[in-house]
Amino acid sequence: MTASHHRLSAALLSSALGLTAVPAFAQDVIWARYGDIDSLDPHRATSTLSLQIWDQIYDTLLAFDMDANPVPNMAESWEASEDGLTYRFTLHEGILCHDGSPFTAEDVRFTIDRAFGETPSLTRTSWGPIESVEVIDDLIFEITLETPFAAFLTFLADPFSSMICSGIDTDTFGSSTAIGTGPFKLVSWARGSEIVLESFDGFRNLGQAAENTGAPGFDRLLVRTIPEAQTRLAALRTGTVHIAEPPFDDIDAIRTEGLLDIVIAENTGQNVFWQFTTSRPPFDDIRARQAVALATDPAMAIEIIYGDLSQREWCPISRGVFGNDQDFCEALGYAHDPARARELVAELGFGPGNPLRTTMLVWTGGNRHMLAEIFQAQLAEANIQAEIEIMDIGTMNARVRAENEDVNNTTPGTFDMMTWSWFDPDILFQLWHSPGAYSGYQSPELDALLQETRTTIEPEARLEAVHAVIEYLMTNAVHIGLYTPGWEWVFAVRPEIEGLQVGPFVRPNFLDVTVAQ
Amino acid sequence: MLVFLAQRLFAALITIWIATIAVTLLIHLVPGDPVRIMFGGFQTTEAELEAIRTRLGLDQPIWRQYLMFLGRLAEGDLGRSIVGNQPVLDILLERLPATLALTLASLAVAIVVGMGLGFLAAVKRGTWIDSTAMILAIVGVSMPHFWLGLLLLFLFSVTLGWLPVAGGDWRSLILPALTLGLATAAVLARMTRSAMIDVLDQDFVRTARAKGLPGTLVLSRHVLRSGLVPISAMLGMQFAYLMGGAIVVENVFAWNGLGRLAIQAVLARDYPLIQGFILFFATIVALASVVIDLLYAVLDPRIRYAK
Repeated sequence: MTASHHRLSAALLSSALGLTAVPAFAQDVIWARYGDIDSLDPHRATSTLSLQIWDQIYDTLLAFDMDANPVPNMAESWEASEDGLTYRFTLHEGILCHDGSPFTAEDVRFTIDRAFGETPSLTRTSWGPIESVEVIDDLIFEITLETPFAAFLTFLADPFSSMICSGIDTDTFGSSTAIGTGPFKLVSWARGSEIVLESFDGFRNLGQAAENTGAPGFDRLLVRTIPEAQTRLAALRTGTVHIAEPPFDDIDAIRTEGLLDIVIAENTGQNVFWQFTTSRPPFDDIRARQAVALATDPAMAIEIIYGDLSQREWCPISRGVFGNDQDFCEALGYAHDPARARELVAELGFGPGNPLRTTMLVWTGGNRHMLAEIFQAQLAEANIQAEIEIMDIGTMNARVRAENEDVNNTTPGTFDMMTWSWFDPDILFQLWHSPGAYSGYQSPELDALLQETRTTIEPEARLEAVHAVIEYLMTNAVHIGLYTPGWEWVFAVRPEIEGLQVGPFVRPNFLDVTVAQ
Repeated sequence: MLVFLAQRLFAALITIWIATIAVTLLIHLVPGDPVRIMFGGFQTTEAELEAIRTRLGLDQPIWRQYLMFLGRLAEGDLGRSIVGNQPVLDILLERLPATLALTLASLAVAIVVGMGLGFLAAVKRGTWIDSTAMILAIVGVSMPHFWLGLLLLFLFSVTLGWLPVAGGDWRSLILPALTLGLATAAVLARMTRSAMIDVLDQDFVRTARAKGLPGTLVLSRHVLRSGLVPISAMLGMQFAYLMGGAIVVENVFAWNGLGRLAIQAVLARDYPLIQGFILFFATIVALASVVIDLLYAVLDPRIRYAK
């Protein structure tokens, strides 16, 4: 074989494997996930896979503690005006961007302007009604809101509000470059294959829930995409990777075997729920929506499919999120009652020989197809014949909206197992305030209640406002909580990795991680 | 020969032209509004989505969109990926070496194993060697890539620890190439056996033997060359089959080629990338067919002189 042949072979292989030059002394932690990020730009994606990586590259003005409360982080302090419209923040001194430049109030303004700019952030509305950002000096800035916004400070702890350094290259930012102030800096992103992150020596932990106050204790974090669950498990077993989501069917065996640790995320904020196409029959009638809720038994279904890994969630917002109250929601909820469901279906003119026909939309992965089959059997007992359609979550998001907006569609309306993870009950505003995330159920009364949850700042009063929305959504069978958590919340970890914490909202934190030799 | 080459190239161009129509129609045939799928965030207004449709030219009549697409294509522009905002052609070229490495390695596995088994079975027709080879071929054809890949992974990586699971070094190519190649080897084994048996029964073989030529010489010089003609035609189809099979195998072994790219593009609803992939794939397969046809003509002069 000639030298050129050798070079060609090497080029083919290194390209295939997404390899980069690795110093022999580098201490790596390798984390395998089923999919890749959509973008390195925190304004251009919404997936959990993406925000878990933003969390490593960027930092946020506030941070969540392990109980999901927002605490000071890059911003060491803030003051709110009495009318709740103006917030004056003071940044910690000496925060460094990955390009070596100091992070200042100008960078905060740059980030916020960008989120509201020509191609706005996909989660723009969750920033709240920001009117202006005024830079007072390098460390002090003032944000003015048009109206009070209760979720404002909480949002500033979420990766969607990641702080971007203004020195970015606008042509390559998000696709091949990223400059933040987080614990790791980007080395490379081989799309679909591997993200290489390097510990950032200049990082200071100013508020994240970890004991380590400086840079991570290992050299590089390699985030690999291994779509097939059994391949991920094989990679874990052989030590090819250190951390990965295992196949659900193998979790009991892994626990029994004891070779890998299982880490289960808490306070995920994930809410899996029923929602309905309300623009046409049958679900334009509340009785059809109630019948689905009464006919299905989520507790039994998740016990069969997930065992103790997931739990019944009665509320439209999940445990760990402000306003979640299981007793309150259960009292309003739809306990499993197939007889009552049959009565409602009969009132609508359907019965054993003439079932109510509909389609249940479900998103792929996590054994959800099996869950859907159990629900399908439960619905059949109430004379509801539901076909199952499975698709990826992005397609399902668009499909649900299209189902609601398609005025010419005469087929029976669909319902779907939808899901969101959010840090604040403001998710209910995003989902249900007109025009809504899915153009689904809308009413002026609900809009007013939702607006109240945004503009009420005082916690007790806001709790009341949030409960009023929950009551409305549940009484009208608009948003029926099913279970939590719902996706990507289980991690199998090799024993040589110590100190991995999964923070609120499924955010792995590597600051305290050490690698045993 | 030039006429033959021109005919084949014309056929390839027709195939690619049909692919251009298919990819233009694609964006209109998929369920749901692609712009909403790709850009719909919280509380996105219809006006914002309409502006994006205008920017992407999706508000134009379909025939105009097709002409615009052809215009860009003539300049070698396949558009930009929506997710990564990179030129589609650059992304495809970046992944091509990985898929070519896998496909060619699989083809090598298929040729060595498949043709070897088929040849052996034909020469030892009616013996236990023949039966065993054909049973192996049936097993190979029947086993899905996905399943075979996982079995090989557990045997060679997890149990024996001989080969890496995914990524690392050149040894990472072995399991995906075996997985992809063995199914094709099974098809080739059956084809080779049948082709060789046909040739072995021909008069010229009997004549060669009657002239006293050694058996190995008869097999290598006369039987093999004649038998290769129909098999080489098969290789063209098998190449396309292997490229298609790479989509599944690359996913199982986390091999970062075009197949995985296609799945990622579909999951991310990145339509320019999906369109680019289909067109690129069709072009490669069409050109590979031309090469195989030429090889076919070299092996059998009757073909290149046929009207």
